Amino acid sequence: MSMDFSEFQRRLGADPSDPALAKERTSGPEFEEAAVAAQDFEQVLIKALCIPAPNDLLDNLKSIPTRLPGTGQKKPWALALAASLLMTAGAVGLLWNTEPAWDSVDEYVADHYRHDGYMLVEMVGSHSGDEARALLARFDVGLADEFADVVSVVKSCPTPDGKGVHMVLNTAEGPITVIYMPKTTVNDREMLEFDELQAMLVQLDSGSAAIIGNTVEQVAGLYPMVDRAIRPYTERS
Amino acid sequence: MSKEAARHSRFNELAEAYGTDLYRYAMWICGNDALAKDLVQETFLRAWKALDSLNDIGAAKSWLITILRREYARTFERKVPKFTDVDTVVVPEETELEPDDRTELRQLRQGILGLPEKYREPLLMQVVLGYSCKEIAAALNISDSAVMTQLFRAREQLKAQLQKDGVTGNVHGLF
Repeated sequence: MSMDFSEFQRRLGADPSDPALAKERTSGPEFEEAAVAAQDFEQVLIKALCIPAPNDLLDNLKSIPTRLPGTGQKKPWALALAASLLMTAGAVGLLWNTEPAWDSVDEYVADHYRHDGYMLVEMVGSHSGDEARALLARFDVGLADEFADVVSVVKSCPTPDGKGVHMVLNTAEGPITVIYMPKTTVNDREMLEFDELQAMLVQLDSGSAAIIGNTVEQVAGLYPMVDRAIRPYTERS
Repeated sequence: MSKEAARHSRFNELAEAYGTDLYRYAMWICGNDALAKDLVQETFLRAWKALDSLNDIGAAKSWLITILRREYARTFERKVPKFTDVDTVVVPEETELEPDDRTELRQLRQGILGLPEKYREPLLMQVVLGYSCKEIAAALNISDSAVMTQLFRAREQLKAQLQKDGVTGNVHGLF
């Protein structure tokens, strides 16, 4: 038994490619007209929905296994070091480092920011200067008031060389991220770009930092303040 | 081929086969390019870790979508993502289009982003992922007839939105 026109329209709207509708098209001119209109709309809908993926998407996905700890190619010395760390852990407690390894600071900055950088920028709100000072104090560095006054989000984070501090500053130009890396050496004022973001590396007197924002002007504008505000305690006392 | 190499190869095949569709799906459910990329990264990261539990390669797509939807739900618990203008992601491919067609696509995309989630998600599963009504029903844990109703209403809302915006473009005879 053939379906009535309203049922035909309903099923057409639910699934225009339903093969069961093909023979119903011949039931009358209004059926055929509705089917053609639905096909036209579907073409536009497909075009609207099938947005292009970022060019680097597949490469980034395929590189996931090599960016994880315990995967990818391991160097013999790294295996030996890992083994010795495990043995030490048995004697003195849990020391195993679960942080992923990065081949370069550039890779670290992009990878770490993608991990939770976007989310932390969204959390900008309350003032966290004291918390930032407390975390930085673990690395024997202090923070000038001009920096502490605009810190909004703070958390401990991994860096290529151990723990560091991830901060989001609430500036007049919008939220800007600063990652402090206490043991990492960088090329001062080297610019990086990833995910349409700009980053500047800053070599400090003690450790280094990455400033990450939306524009070159934003990160370059913050450089002088970062450079003078994060100082070893000995210099500030 | 070693076991590890085979595992890498299998993972790469999944990325090739489903990476783009998952990004599109993620982009449309969250409306935010950065978050969509993050969701897809996280999905494949979890997929890599649990790859050995995937016994049926034919079930890979729905397995990945399940991971992505769970991850999105977790993200949504932490914060409400801001919807961005989808044009920022799609402009490059459309320079060859006529202005009317571009307007039509832009308004249709805004309409898609404006659809209630219960209409948008089945539509994405059908059009972007190629799911059948039965597969959508299984993924969303609702009845087949509810899926059909939601798909029908989604299209009707989009057509009504285009009509309201005065777009006729190439979609002749729609209204």
